[in-house]
Amino acid sequence: MSNVMIAARGLEKTYTRGEETLRVLDGLDLQMDAGRFNALMGPSGSGKTTLLNLVGGLDHADAGSLEVAGEELAHLDSGSLAHWRAQTVGFVFQGFNLIPVLTALENVELPLQLSPLPRSQRREHALHALELVGLADRARHRPKQLSGGQEQRVAIARAIVTDPKLLLADEPTGDLDRASADAVLDLL
Amino acid sequence: MGIFGLSLRNLLRHPVRSLLTALSLMVAIFLLCSLRSMVTALTAAATEASTTRLWVQSAVSLYVGMPLSYPTRIEAIDGVKEAFPFQWFGGVYQDPSNFFGQFAVDPEKLLRAYPELVWLEGSPEDFIGTRTGALVGTGLAKTFDWKVGDKIPLSGALFPHPDGVDVAWDFEVVGIYEASKASLDENTFFFHWDYFEKTLEVDRDAPVEVGAIVVSIEPTTSATRVMSEIDALYENGPQRVQTTTESEFQAQFASMFGNVPFFVSVIGGAVLAAIVLACINTMLMAAREQTHDIGIMKSLGFPDTSMFRLLLTQSFLLCGVGGAMGLGLALGSEGGMRELVSSMLPAYRILDETKILAVVLIVVIGLVAGIAPALRSSRLKCIDALSARE
Repeated sequence: MSNVMIAARGLEKTYTRGEETLRVLDGLDLQMDAGRFNALMGPSGSGKTTLLNLVGGLDHADAGSLEVAGEELAHLDSGSLAHWRAQTVGFVFQGFNLIPVLTALENVELPLQLSPLPRSQRREHALHALELVGLADRARHRPKQLSGGQEQRVAIARAIVTDPKLLLADEPTGDLDRASADAVLDLL
Repeated sequence: MGIFGLSLRNLLRHPVRSLLTALSLMVAIFLLCSLRSMVTALTAAATEASTTRLWVQSAVSLYVGMPLSYPTRIEAIDGVKEAFPFQWFGGVYQDPSNFFGQFAVDPEKLLRAYPELVWLEGSPEDFIGTRTGALVGTGLAKTFDWKVGDKIPLSGALFPHPDGVDVAWDFEVVGIYEASKASLDENTFFFHWDYFEKTLEVDRDAPVEVGAIVVSIEPTTSATRVMSEIDALYENGPQRVQTTTESEFQAQFASMFGNVPFFVSVIGGAVLAAIVLACINTMLMAAREQTHDIGIMKSLGFPDTSMFRLLLTQSFLLCGVGGAMGLGLALGSEGGMRELVSSMLPAYRILDETKILAVVLIVVIGLVAGIAPALRSSRLKCIDALSARE
């Protein structure tokens, strides 16, 4: 069985802004194995976020092949891609991306809504994920009532609660102070 | 937290805006129910009119009288069971604002012609046997707190008492009725034609005339034929007549209020249309504010259909709550409204069809207000939605 988690061949992605065409990915070849912790580094505008979006199935490549966790993403339509994301990927964004009207616990529980788990088990899993990031005592707090570091830890709990095959973090410490950033990196 | 719970939370994100939108819909649905009930009350008598009763009036106008010999000749027409005067009295009880219909009729023929008249107090014998006896509707009895045995003086505004303008016509309540159909008004005051005629004859040179005649026909008889024959009977005078079905007669009576149903419908429709636009605006604003959240949910794997349901559920919730409050208010105030308009619209009640219409409209408004934001949300590309900010 192949141990490859991400395999990209000739990946291309172009953005058009007004009359300007921006070729962000130009024939990218990439392979990453499962079970590894990989970091993409590069200057701003080099295409890191674009690549993560493609790998995470949030966007489609213009050309090339991209196989993630054994699935060729170019072959999936919008609905199948959403289902694949729910089953395979956990995201941690720079801006936390928590739903403001939900509590920390409800935010973590949100991806489990797409699973067949009964409500009690969903709650149990979400609470366990919050315990793992050290925020069980903040379960009833809304994002606005949490610090930036705590919000990102809730986002990490949400990303891992479904036990995904692939965890994607896009500058997860970008909006945090040094102490919070260290805590989040330790957690990851 | 399912789609319903999240929809509720999203609505409470701006509680004042949601509350105001719901309240505006409440007012619109209340108005719709009330105005429509007024229209149905206005036309109820025509809608539920008897098919075995015809009305004869002067071909010139309802205000022009016909000779008293007419009912007798009409009764001779094949298929006619009975014909009797139905004379508007137009008296005043205590104050001119106490407006209600008073009719001089033949008691026995009235009771035979109106099977929908149900006795609550008193008896037909008391009514028939008491010359000054009055049979009053339960609406009137409640309004003026009348009981059987009460003496009721009416000033004859159209027909002054022969003993003097200041002398009242004296009546005694001998019966109280309710109507099993809207074809009979429960705010009507019936009294003896004989008492009316004989009192007037005392000091009058010209013979007493009759303003309207009710003709009761056999159920198997063709109303069209009888109407033609009655009209033909007096084609050459002395007073030409116009015979109509009860339904036409009541509709003609309702039209004396002008085209009220049309104006009421236009006003109600305009209010409703304005509120629909307000609801659409609220939902579009809500959808725009939630764009980033939609991106988050899509990134987590929620399908486009879930986003569609999320926005549509919010719309239905908002409109459902506002609409339910409006319907509740209309039903809760039905009794009070009925009392308020009882003199003009005694049949005021919120019919089942009005309630159904209100519910259907609430659903349609919810759908109309939510469909565009729901479609937009479902079609949003995940990556674009994520980059949006409130």
